[in-house]
Amino acid sequence: MYQYDNFDRNFLKERVAQFRDQTDRYLAGEIPDDVFQQLRLRNGLYIQRLAPMLRIAVPYGTLNSAQLRKLASISRDYDKGYGHLSTRQNMQLNWPELPEVPDILAELAEVNMHAIQTSGSCVRNVTTDQFAGVAADEDVDARPYAEMLRQWSTYHPEFEWLPRKFKIALNGAKSDRAAIAVHDIGIQLQVDDEGQTTFDVYVGGGLGRTPAIGALIRQNLPEKHLLTYVEAILRVYNRYGRRDNKYKARIKILVKAMSPETFGEKVDAEWDLIRDNPQELTQDEIDRIVECFKPPDYPPVQNASSTLANQRLQDPAFNRWVQQNVAEHKQLGYAIVTLSTKATGIPPGDVTDVQMDAVADWSETFGLGEIRISHEQNFVLPDVPQNRLFELFELARTEGLASANQGLLTDVICCPGGDYCSLANAKSIPVAEEILQRFDDYDYLHDLGPLDLNISGCMNACGHHHVGHIGILGVDKRGDEFYQISLGGNATNDASLGKIIGPSFSRNEVVSVIERLLDVYVDYRTEGETFLGCYRRVGMDPFKDRVYLEEPESQSYARAG
Amino acid sequence: MPVLVKDQQIVADPWQLLETIPDYVPINAIVPVDQLVNTNANAVWVEGDLEADDHGEELAKLDLVAVHFPMFADGRGLSLGTLLRNRYGFIGELRAIGEVQPDLTPFMRRCGFDAFVLESELAANTAIRCMESMSDFYQSSVIQPEPAFRRKHDQ
Repeated sequence: MYQYDNFDRNFLKERVAQFRDQTDRYLAGEIPDDVFQQLRLRNGLYIQRLAPMLRIAVPYGTLNSAQLRKLASISRDYDKGYGHLSTRQNMQLNWPELPEVPDILAELAEVNMHAIQTSGSCVRNVTTDQFAGVAADEDVDARPYAEMLRQWSTYHPEFEWLPRKFKIALNGAKSDRAAIAVHDIGIQLQVDDEGQTTFDVYVGGGLGRTPAIGALIRQNLPEKHLLTYVEAILRVYNRYGRRDNKYKARIKILVKAMSPETFGEKVDAEWDLIRDNPQELTQDEIDRIVECFKPPDYPPVQNASSTLANQRLQDPAFNRWVQQNVAEHKQLGYAIVTLSTKATGIPPGDVTDVQMDAVADWSETFGLGEIRISHEQNFVLPDVPQNRLFELFELARTEGLASANQGLLTDVICCPGGDYCSLANAKSIPVAEEILQRFDDYDYLHDLGPLDLNISGCMNACGHHHVGHIGILGVDKRGDEFYQISLGGNATNDASLGKIIGPSFSRNEVVSVIERLLDVYVDYRTEGETFLGCYRRVGMDPFKDRVYLEEPESQSYARAG
Repeated sequence: MPVLVKDQQIVADPWQLLETIPDYVPINAIVPVDQLVNTNANAVWVEGDLEADDHGEELAKLDLVAVHFPMFADGRGLSLGTLLRNRYGFIGELRAIGEVQPDLTPFMRRCGFDAFVLESELAANTAIRCMESMSDFYQSSVIQPEPAFRRKHDQ
């Protein structure tokens, strides 16, 4: 992990004092509401439906055990004893009191954490693959470069007041687990023939009202140019991005209006003038940051595969969990474990203080004290010896963190929705809960195979519904909550945006509609074909026919209710 | 009553900002940029979205450029300031006018602004305090071209 030095610590300390001063001036009536709104947002503080919401930054989703324990104690002391893992790998608290927020930030700073730039029209938390550094299919560990971008973008003098929010994601593996195609800037890292790290840079992807897949504007950018090239993109965006209409202010609108080619030329012209500026990375700096993330000396694991094979044979539930939630590690004898938060009756991504403390303990017992948060809103333990997976599984089961559903239908991505968020048109958590309740048969879920079901409570798309294989979007119809369903979205390699199947459904209809969609898939699929593959082959019609031609059973009482 | 802060101090304003051009243009006038050719002015005011590529060289010769921030949180003037200083070598007074909130002045200052027109003395004093609230930053800026990683990193 990145190691804070005195510079980083002092920066945080001063930032906390600065926010305390801003809060005091606001409470004393010296700062008007609209100005304070912009200031508090840049420190992750929203005013929500029921209470403020504080979004705490978890840079590229990486935490250590002390930091997670601190999040547990803060959620216990200042909140209602739980937090929410967000789709941008952060943690959100739903019930803090505004006057206490500076104290929360001071506590976070004790463990080198903060809420800087987790909202507002600025560069947000840089995200990456939750398996970065340990994934077997990785070419380059993206975390050091995410950290360089974090430092560069933190309180950037020129780019803190952009037309709109700005999200950067990096991926260094063959599988794209960071959804780089739907970010303002997406960066794919690779190693060239001479062994140098280079970047392919995509711009203008995004979700929200106008979803778009990013366009490739630069290939094989050498690593030392990372910051100056991103500076050129941000400058073009800051100068020319629209500010007259917030729904047209994201970079994707500018890229589309100019065309990706013209936008790329404009960036190149700017970059030519600044590429040799002092922000060009030095080899010393690259080495300093990369060193922080270098792999530990993994002790050899004795009899890893035979122990694991025996345990899997003896315990079918454990076997399912290993099959679904354990990923291949770079290091022989080790495994990457996803601790799913998606258990029946629990809002996706919600974790209690007790669970946080437990995960922190396990990260030490079964690893090197490191924890990741995935954009699918789960915890990940990156370094578990294979011969101790069973022990971990049993403990996770007692804490409700052992659902064997990673990547399956019930691994729902879901925004907080109308239960918490003042932007939402409709509730999303209850829909997720109904789906988790209806589809709780593991064999059926496993038979369905990889299936991303994503739910957003409004078109701001925090639940990434556009890139769900099945996407659900809450819409408001004359004051009633309705849900629009789309098919064929995909956030990973070969990314695509979902297409809306047709008129929206009432809440009572949603689960039966999902059932019918799954039935169509089961009827039409060929051997080994995934839901997404099947949809891409057969198209929308068979799904549409089944959903609309027959009256959904639940519709009668949906109408009555 | 607007208050001018220059180099972190409240000072009297020797300049006079003109929104339109009278028959006689005083020597201390800050004129709209489109009037520069018609006057002998050495000071102009511009909007933050001015195309620096078209006007940068001309503005760099002046004594003063005032950049108008039309609303809080509009950061275009920050790019313009940075370009005037770093790309066109402007060394005169770079003044922020319009919606200049105290909490924005630290960003403006790091983009090369050295003068700020605040709405009141209270706001001016707050701005001075805000500009001192953080001692160092990660990345380069107009007033500190070396990013932290190129300076001495403590161990």
